[in-house]
Amino acid sequence: MSVFMDLNVSFSAERSRMTKLIEAAAHLGFSTVAINYVFEPMAKKKLEIPMPTPVKELIDQLPVVQGRSRPIRVLNRLTVVMSDSSHFRPNATEYRGFDLLAVQPTTEKLFHAACMLYDVDIICISVTEKLPFFFKRAPVNGAMDRGVVFEVSYSAAIRDSTRRRYTIANAVSLMESCKGKNVILSSAAEKPLELRGPYDITNLGLLFGLSEGDAKEAVSSTCRSVVLHAESRKSASGIIYTMKTCSESSSQQEALAADLGEAPAAKRAKPHLTQ
Amino acid sequence: MFGDLERTPRTLLVCERSSFLDEKNRLSSQVEQLHFNYKVSMLLPECSSAPSHLEAVFNSINSFYLIRKLPIHELLDKHFLETAVHQGRVSGLSYGTRIDEDNCVALMPNGHLSLSLDKDSFEVLGVEGKPSRFNQRTNSRFVVSVDLTDSSMAPGGRGYQRLVTGLKSRLQLKTDFLLSHPPGCGASLHAFLSRYDWSEHKPEIRSHTLTDLSSPLLTSDLQSCDPRRLLEWLGAVDAHVSCENSSSSFLSSLVCPEPRTRLSQALSVSVCGLLRPQDVQQLIQQIRCYLEQPRLENWVSLTVHGFVDSPVSWGGEEHGVLRGGDNFYSLLMFHDHTYQLHLATGAHDTCPP
Repeated sequence: MSVFMDLNVSFSAERSRMTKLIEAAAHLGFSTVAINYVFEPMAKKKLEIPMPTPVKELIDQLPVVQGRSRPIRVLNRLTVVMSDSSHFRPNATEYRGFDLLAVQPTTEKLFHAACMLYDVDIICISVTEKLPFFFKRAPVNGAMDRGVVFEVSYSAAIRDSTRRRYTIANAVSLMESCKGKNVILSSAAEKPLELRGPYDITNLGLLFGLSEGDAKEAVSSTCRSVVLHAESRKSASGIIYTMKTCSESSSQQEALAADLGEAPAAKRAKPHLTQ
Repeated sequence: MFGDLERTPRTLLVCERSSFLDEKNRLSSQVEQLHFNYKVSMLLPECSSAPSHLEAVFNSINSFYLIRKLPIHELLDKHFLETAVHQGRVSGLSYGTRIDEDNCVALMPNGHLSLSLDKDSFEVLGVEGKPSRFNQRTNSRFVVSVDLTDSSMAPGGRGYQRLVTGLKSRLQLKTDFLLSHPPGCGASLHAFLSRYDWSEHKPEIRSHTLTDLSSPLLTSDLQSCDPRRLLEWLGAVDAHVSCENSSSSFLSSLVCPEPRTRLSQALSVSVCGLLRPQDVQQLIQQIRCYLEQPRLENWVSLTVHGFVDSPVSWGGEEHGVLRGGDNFYSLLMFHDHTYQLHLATGAHDTCPP
């Protein structure tokens, strides 16, 4: 098993709220959190993809994870809510500032395209409404082969009782198609009270139809494989490793040669794919 | 899908009844095999304060050391191996590391070093090891088990060199470490410890007198009490959870098993720290002496908890945490030298001896 991670913590502009969220996550035992910036492009208005705020501006000092001796690790994640295929632009430069990339398809065609084609790490399953489409085995298996995971978030279930029904119904139908593999469970917490501890989320996974071991993996090993998949996606399968130089302006990047960059990248284990 | 929900988390309970006077009783070997004990809690019914000889045993339990950020290759230092491992019977456990998240280290008194590593650390270390028995679909946890008393691990040997270079240069494993030593060995360790930030700790002893307690009727001959309900009641008493199940309280619905009796008072004592099996043996001997005299109630219960985050459980077998990592045993002793022993583990564990 690997460390516990919560890969969906909602971003808010208030610094104090973000500080409290990260401290609550560290207190509950999560070793890694990912701040989620949701981007919903609309047809009428032209919206800009948000730039991630550096972690130092969110919190002064990263708190130590309860029970361990390391501070919590904070990543940045972008979720693109798609209602049209033009909303997700592959290889857009704005995506490079984020560690993780997620997509939330709203129609069946988009779900199929996201599973088979799009270069993303996470596919979010909507929990706030009844799913407009059914999960077919073919795109789900295609996504699993590529290393893409499906995400179910649970804080909507805490806020509202109708959404609790939708969360459970959608999650159960997902588990039937994917047989419990390649699933992650995360909060989409906006307040510290909406976070739950990792063993509680393991129990919640049992309610969704996962077995005991699978539910624990959904909070630990599968999240680790998502983070590794994102790293290899950003570095072209782990061969080229790009590093921002601090002296230049933030938009400039420098690609190091393969032999120089291989030292940190080679020590990484392979991304976990279905075996 | 809901079949899994009906099943409670998998646990294993081994129950044994025997007598101290029987030559074939395996109690001492069972106690010896659990090397790392975290807590011993005792319940003495109809007793208001600890008897003096029991207090003497508490005070004689050795202290243990906590070393902050110990590089693990120091456990393979030649001098430490000679004084502590080969001659002394030092044992130790990493502290502040979770068995299902981090890298954990255990040094057993028989000289076996067990490293429970996650996938990345194992691949970086580069020493031979086995995948954990409790891996799910993919191998995410590996166990490196080394016998430091074996000839291949003598300082200078190839296996030894490989492990030392691995821990020094490739994977610089540093954890907080709890170290426990047999009596008389403490002074020789001070030279080793002085290089790091270390502190000495005595086991913490807490005692609590309970009044007006309902307890099950425990006798040595009848199968009067179901082991699970007995263990649940013992746990409730130790955790100060009320078993009255009054209609006005919604906090706990635990009840004392039937048939039951009422105790006017009882003493609950707990000792927490890094305790050796020898300390537990001494406590058991003293409680047997205590029970030899006629008392109002003829039983005493003693529960020993192992560490939840220890990489090894009984007899050096691997231990893991699925939803809970309890590995404990509960000994119910009677005045006629009979006892009932219940050994319990969680899901990721082998069967207790």
